[in-house]
Amino acid sequence: MSTTENIPILLVDDEEGIRKVLGLTLSDMGYEVYTAGSCESALDIFRKKKPPFILSDIKMPGSDGLTLLRTIKQESPDTEVIMITGHGDMNLAIKSLKFDATDFITKPINDDALEIALRRARERRLMKEQLKQYTENLEMLVKEKSAKLVRSERMAAIGQTVTGLSHTIKNIAGGLKGGAFVLEKGISTINTKYLNDGWRMISGNVNKIARLSLDLLNYAKTAEINLMLVDPNLPVKQALEVLEPRLDSHHITIQTVLESMPAICFDPDGINIVLLTLVENAIDACLQKSVLPDKNKISITSVKTETGVTYKVEDNGCGMNSDVLSKLFNSFFTTKGNQGTGIGLMMAKHIVDMHNGSLDIKSEAGIGTTFVVTIPDGENKKQMQKA
Amino acid sequence: MLSNGMDKRILVVEDETDMRIFMSALLETSGFKPVIAKNGNDGLARARQEKPDLIILDVMMPEAGGAATYQKLKNEEGLKDIPVIMISAVAQRTFFHYISMLNTQSGSPLPLPEAYIEKPPEPQRVINTIKNLLFQGVVSENTFDNGAS
Repeated sequence: MSTTENIPILLVDDEEGIRKVLGLTLSDMGYEVYTAGSCESALDIFRKKKPPFILSDIKMPGSDGLTLLRTIKQESPDTEVIMITGHGDMNLAIKSLKFDATDFITKPINDDALEIALRRARERRLMKEQLKQYTENLEMLVKEKSAKLVRSERMAAIGQTVTGLSHTIKNIAGGLKGGAFVLEKGISTINTKYLNDGWRMISGNVNKIARLSLDLLNYAKTAEINLMLVDPNLPVKQALEVLEPRLDSHHITIQTVLESMPAICFDPDGINIVLLTLVENAIDACLQKSVLPDKNKISITSVKTETGVTYKVEDNGCGMNSDVLSKLFNSFFTTKGNQGTGIGLMMAKHIVDMHNGSLDIKSEAGIGTTFVVTIPDGENKKQMQKA
Repeated sequence: MLSNGMDKRILVVEDETDMRIFMSALLETSGFKPVIAKNGNDGLARARQEKPDLIILDVMMPEAGGAATYQKLKNEEGLKDIPVIMISAVAQRTFFHYISMLNTQSGSPLPLPEAYIEKPPEPQRVINTIKNLLFQGVVSENTFDNGAS
């Protein structure tokens, strides 16, 4: 049979006569036959020639066929091993099947029985190979498809970003046009109110576009973080300096509790942007809620953790419902009408992610919001950056 | 003022300051009397109080959203016959679809607004639309914004 042409097979039997007769039969069937008289020499040949099929006597002096079977199956589970048993050795035959022998045949060996056992072994081997190939193909297919999916998701994200950005710009352009209209009416009717209103609209929208471009610029800057060894409380202090005038003008009480701690490796400018964004949002949230102005409170704390630092920004402002929470980090999503650019929190999240940190929110509509930023010491990350 | 004998009162329900200023200036300089409301609830109160000749409503307002305000306006005796111009950043198709979805669930179907203008509103288009609705009493084809902007 051509399917057996030159397939290596290892024949193991302690009786030379059987090795000869059986060896001839197997050669006639087209196999390339190796023979061994003991378990030890069989293993030697197996390790050198790696035959896919082994035909082995079960009872041999020294290490017996079962030991050989177990060793082979351990080293190469795919090798098909057929055991030869004496008539009435049913127990041994069953044992060999338990140890995952492909089949067993009984002495005296009938050529047809041998042929059938070998054919089954070949089929089994073929099936295993096909299965392996299918699995590999499937894995490749999954890999390919998911790569495509990731690509298309990324394209969708870019599309969303562009749509959001053009929407924001369209709004500003609308405001500028409206302002120009009101200003023109003021000029043509010599109406001071229109002149003032129109001018206010125009300058407001100019500010807005300035803010948008600044936000976008900041966002582009956060593509990389610049790790350095700094006191984690430094960016908090810097943020507070910038925000103090706004906090004062709205009569918002600010409470800071900063734990002194050793310097860690992080990007102080990036974290400064994160804290600025969070406190700005807290201020906006306080202003949204119409309570007595002096009742508004924002607290900032820093706590040393095992791996770095945790900042907490807490306000008793308007809070958010679950719908808003779910969209919080989307680009260009804003609850502040034409006042927000929808970039701040998305950017904050991005910076924290780049630090391998976490940004968690607890919020309840009408009660307030707490943002918790955890930044791990980036010592090892810095090493990677160097590399 | 430059009154063309059109002392008509127009209620503008709009949450954005800029848009309110723009609308007031546009309406005043065209000879109308604007009545301004900052949100949906305020808008309904002013509508009941002032019985305006026309209402300009922003659909994307937060809180009592423009769509909900519209629903209330069109379900209230004495208000439902006042023509409404919707102004919105939402595409007209989307809003009309929203109304038809509402209608499948409710016993009293909601009519479409008399006119719909997508943001940002073109001054001349707003004025033409108002004049069509107030003085011709019919909704001409071009009252609707076909999104060709």
